[in-house]
Amino acid sequence: MIGRLFSRTSRSGIGIITIALPLSMFVILSFTASSFFTAQNLGNVGNQITALLIVSLGQLIVAISGGVDLSVGSMLSLTSAIIVTFDPAIVVPLAIAAGCVLGTVNGIGVAIFGVHPLVMTLATATFVQGLTLLVSPVPGGVVAPAIEALAHGRLFGLQPSLFWCAGAILLCWLLLSRSAFGLRLYALGANPRNASLNGVKVVGPIITCYVLCSLSAVAAGIFLTARVSTGDPTIGAAFGLDSITAIALGGVQLSGGVGSVPGVILGVVTLGLATNGMNLLGVSPFLRMAATGLLLLGAVSLQRRKTIGV
Amino acid sequence: MLDTADRSRGSRLLNVATALPIAYAGTLILLICAYMFRPALLSPLLLMLIIRQAAPLGVAVIGQSLCMRILSIDLSFGGVAMGVSYILTSGYVPGGEAVLIACALLFGATVGLANAFFIVRLRASSVIVTLAMGLLLTGIVIAFSQFRAPGDAPALLKYIGQSRISGVPLAPLIWFALLIPVAWFLKRSVLGHYIDAIGANPRAALATGIPYGGIVVLVHVASSLFAVFSAFLLVGFVGMGSLDIGRDLALNSLAAVILGGVTFGSGRGGVLGPAVAAFMLTFLFNLLTSFGLGEPSKLMLQGAIIAVAAIAYSARTKT
Repeated sequence: MIGRLFSRTSRSGIGIITIALPLSMFVILSFTASSFFTAQNLGNVGNQITALLIVSLGQLIVAISGGVDLSVGSMLSLTSAIIVTFDPAIVVPLAIAAGCVLGTVNGIGVAIFGVHPLVMTLATATFVQGLTLLVSPVPGGVVAPAIEALAHGRLFGLQPSLFWCAGAILLCWLLLSRSAFGLRLYALGANPRNASLNGVKVVGPIITCYVLCSLSAVAAGIFLTARVSTGDPTIGAAFGLDSITAIALGGVQLSGGVGSVPGVILGVVTLGLATNGMNLLGVSPFLRMAATGLLLLGAVSLQRRKTIGV
Repeated sequence: MLDTADRSRGSRLLNVATALPIAYAGTLILLICAYMFRPALLSPLLLMLIIRQAAPLGVAVIGQSLCMRILSIDLSFGGVAMGVSYILTSGYVPGGEAVLIACALLFGATVGLANAFFIVRLRASSVIVTLAMGLLLTGIVIAFSQFRAPGDAPALLKYIGQSRISGVPLAPLIWFALLIPVAWFLKRSVLGHYIDAIGANPRAALATGIPYGGIVVLVHVASSLFAVFSAFLLVGFVGMGSLDIGRDLALNSLAAVILGGVTFGSGRGGVLGPAVAAFMLTFLFNLLTSFGLGEPSKLMLQGAIIAVAAIAYSARTKT
């Protein structure tokens, strides 16, 4: 079992570094930052990484299909803008509808027209960011109490972020490991031509992947907006690259076919701990941005691909 | 091959017309729009200003188009431009203007080499590598500017950015001076043919013994250097350093290259198409501003243009 887990051809993509990185970070932070190992800070870490975890799980689904989605950040911002702008009764369905539309457009561009996923999602990301600024040009606005309760109300004395994480993890795991859709997705991502010759449909599942990914961004947007209790048209700006960094740290192959839910959880924890650690050590937020870039470079360097280029 | 020879002249003409970059038709449509609604934009003085304004983008587009020809991409332009602006104006680097400019060029070459190292040696995705590099550079520059705010630009760059030679601004002349040799080089030199071969079919190019890796390194260094030149022009226009410089350079250059007819995986497209597209985008933004549309609609249009152009080209190459 262990041998299979670490073997080069494993489908989970979890390697020694994937596990060792968050563990060593945890140990180092426990010793260097005195306030790290407190219940309050650990709760903070949990809150901070919830949105990233939800988005990264969506990104995982797209990555397994062999694509990538840079538009998640803009979708998250759009959700936030929608929540504070429109009538509270319709904001959630409206955000979900927007997510479905965005995902379908991304999916159609990639699966039917064969546009490179990065170009396609970069274009839609720009469009949606513009739309977001049109809906709500400046940060502010009030979040309806019913939505605020989604991130503040306690159930059985537990943090609501725990339920969000558990729900997202369970859904994603069921979809990828316990459904025919998941199996076909791995086949498609590993080799689309082989999968297609073996009777796996290509277009439908790939469009579904992008829709699911956009919906994960909507969910993360609802959680994040509820937690900060106000709208912000650029709240999601960093999430596109952050989620890619997280899944790359989690051993997911961006070329498709390799990746797992536990790997993504480990990747998100690594990134979350790195951010939290730099926070505690008083590193400037802009250097933190640079550090994310560095981490991303390191993470993609771990995955040698066959081809050079995009 | 044979059946193309049999085709009638009309259908061949139609083929040539549809194979032209979208930028040509787009520019024409925009000029007609301007003629109908905002004729003032078409005055020689304003057109000259718009061309001048397009020059930095045009220079960056040369680099981006080189990258996309070999199936790569460079999204680190924003970070490079910020870095260059900081090197030139922060006063950290001692020495005269020549030293500053040399430092900026060295910085660009280093970034290009680093990008290429990750892309060629470690085979990482060029989008991710260059986006991460942009993030890294932007983060470092902003963090440093907290200690010392950027100051005035070197006089030489201000001169280039703001002066005219018998009525013609200097910046577009520099753009064309960079554009023409690159076009000639791509058409005539062995390296240019290698670049075309890689774009058409990387595996075949590698099998034929073309120095694939070396060319990717060269192209990425060149692309970063073009970004540096572009930043020189931008800093020259503004006259002083700014953290806003080149923020949308990467995305706009990507849009211009796609509109100009260079796409991944075809090895086709010239140098002129992207240059016209750079003018088209700049003209479009001016037109939008004259209609009173702000940043949000600009972003939406930019995104829609990239998506539609990319879809149009993909659909065309498929059939």
